[in-house]
Amino acid sequence: MSATITFDDTTLPELQQQKPEAPWGRRTSKFRTVVILAVLIPATVVTLLFWFSSIPGPVIMIAVYFPLQLVASMIAAIAVRGTKAAADAVIIVSAIGATIFSMVVLISVLWTIITKGLQALSGAFIFQNNEYISPSTPLGYGGIGHAILGTVLIVAISAVIAVPLGVMTAVYITEVRGRAVPYVRFFVQAMSGVPSVVAGLFILTVFILTGVLDNSAFAAGLAYAILMLPTVARTAEEVLKLVPDDLRTGALALGSTRARVVLRVVIPAAKTGIITAAILGVARVVGETAPLLLTALKNDKTVLNPFSEPISALPTYIFDNVAQPYPDAVLRAWGAALTLMIIVAVLFTLTRFFSAKR
Amino acid sequence: MSTAEYENVTTLEEELSLTPDNRPVEMETRDVSVWFGKRKVLEGVNIEFRRNSVTALIGPSGCGKSTFIRTLNRLHELIPSAALAGSVLYEGNDIYAPEVDPVQIRLAIGMVFQKPNPFPSMTIRGNVLAGLKLSGMKRPNHDEIVEQTLTAAGLWNEVKDRLGAAAGELSGGQAQRLVIARSLAVQPTVLLMDEPCSALDPGSTLKIEETIRQLSKEITIIIVTHNMQQAVRVADQTAFFLATDGQPGHVVEQGPTTEIFGNPQDQRTLDYVNGRFG
Repeated sequence: MSATITFDDTTLPELQQQKPEAPWGRRTSKFRTVVILAVLIPATVVTLLFWFSSIPGPVIMIAVYFPLQLVASMIAAIAVRGTKAAADAVIIVSAIGATIFSMVVLISVLWTIITKGLQALSGAFIFQNNEYISPSTPLGYGGIGHAILGTVLIVAISAVIAVPLGVMTAVYITEVRGRAVPYVRFFVQAMSGVPSVVAGLFILTVFILTGVLDNSAFAAGLAYAILMLPTVARTAEEVLKLVPDDLRTGALALGSTRARVVLRVVIPAAKTGIITAAILGVARVVGETAPLLLTALKNDKTVLNPFSEPISALPTYIFDNVAQPYPDAVLRAWGAALTLMIIVAVLFTLTRFFSAKR
Repeated sequence: MSTAEYENVTTLEEELSLTPDNRPVEMETRDVSVWFGKRKVLEGVNIEFRRNSVTALIGPSGCGKSTFIRTLNRLHELIPSAALAGSVLYEGNDIYAPEVDPVQIRLAIGMVFQKPNPFPSMTIRGNVLAGLKLSGMKRPNHDEIVEQTLTAAGLWNEVKDRLGAAAGELSGGQAQRLVIARSLAVQPTVLLMDEPCSALDPGSTLKIEETIRQLSKEITIIIVTHNMQQAVRVADQTAFFLATDGQPGHVVEQGPTTEIFGNPQDQRTLDYVNGRFG
């Protein structure tokens, strides 16, 4: 080889003929055989059992297929890569198995709600109310419009109260850093364990039985706010903690007051997280039934005044109808459950959309 | 607090004719000692910082340089266990006097940190003007301020076409120059820099050093650095800090940079500047 670089044009076409490949994906035929066997054997055993035994399908899957697949994967891993690979195989197969199991559970729930709920769902069902409707009225008459409005009203009242309070509590913990921080954090944590029925009882005994408030959307909103507050405060605290201290000292070094550090630097930097905290708070309470039974009661009419009269919401509507001895009433409950889930899904999608726009 | 006050004292020409060593004193510390809880980390620091000069604080890690620089604009006190003795004089007045508002001190004595910390929720332009919004300082002609400070920080040409872009898009070196521009927008008379180049590549470091030299014509700069070549390149004065097992951080030797590096009086300074420890 000479030191001068010569351009050999015969190499050029060859270079151009190269195609992108994944050399790490090439397998030996032994590897392929072992993998195929490790997949086929458990599958065959399960199929045979399914056809020729009377053991129920889910039992076969959990008690036979999963352990068998685990063992087969371990043996395959040992045959191909040696004993150390067995642990890899166990972890991966267990993770996949657990994921499939939880997905099956979640999807079955979703499937049940969707198939049953769709039978009840119609334009009238969404927009009409329950006035003049009895549990035995067939589907197609009456609806949950009043309950949707009730849920929106009650959740909105609680969010207006709990979100600012929760965020300010988080600001006290992470930004003000006063002496009471450990106690505040302890109480917030303890409050997140308050059973929802206790929140309802509290509002009932302190405000309703004393005559301060009527059974109303506002009373229910207060009960929801008690439940929402710890979730919002704790989540907001976590996201505020994620804001680097560099930004705070950076802002202080520019001659900023602490209030401006919080309002103009820390909260904007944690905006997405704070929106998430608010959604999590709403999601925490939107399906709660017990506080409503004690504070909002029920009402078949559409109610717009949040202070004056009892009001129905989706959870109370579901609770009412699901216990009726009429199949159509039960279907109405499923329809309301589906609507509640759609509302939550829309809420999550909307906030994702808004927080992505920054 | 503004530069206008000094025009009665010395004219610009007179001032430029002064060598860095006999310019008037802008800031000085008297017998400053610092504690974290019961642990004393700095002891009896006396340094004078002269107007429109660059002073480098050098020394091995853990000798208290960064802690010291944070006492100069009252950021030190934000640490809950912090304590301090002695006094820090700015234009002859103790910045720790009870009637002094730390917010005003931090406005006049700006700071650039080790890690670039642009505000991620703001644009490039928004970051430059952030100090005005945060401190409530009123200055007209925002466009001019943006161009002027970004030019001074050596970033204008790179970002002039995308001032509305998010600050997070900038590289580390650009972000650090943006932060320098941001600190200049509130017109500080002193700029503290805590290892401003330690996270940057040599190219960005060079640009920031040029920026420091330029800025020192108008403001007083105090810079902590681990890079001794950098101290030689940018600093008029140098102070060497050292903490040993028995003794908290203290100043071993200080003086003109040429003296500290060329003709140190203390054996430990000689060893340190020649890279034998630290």
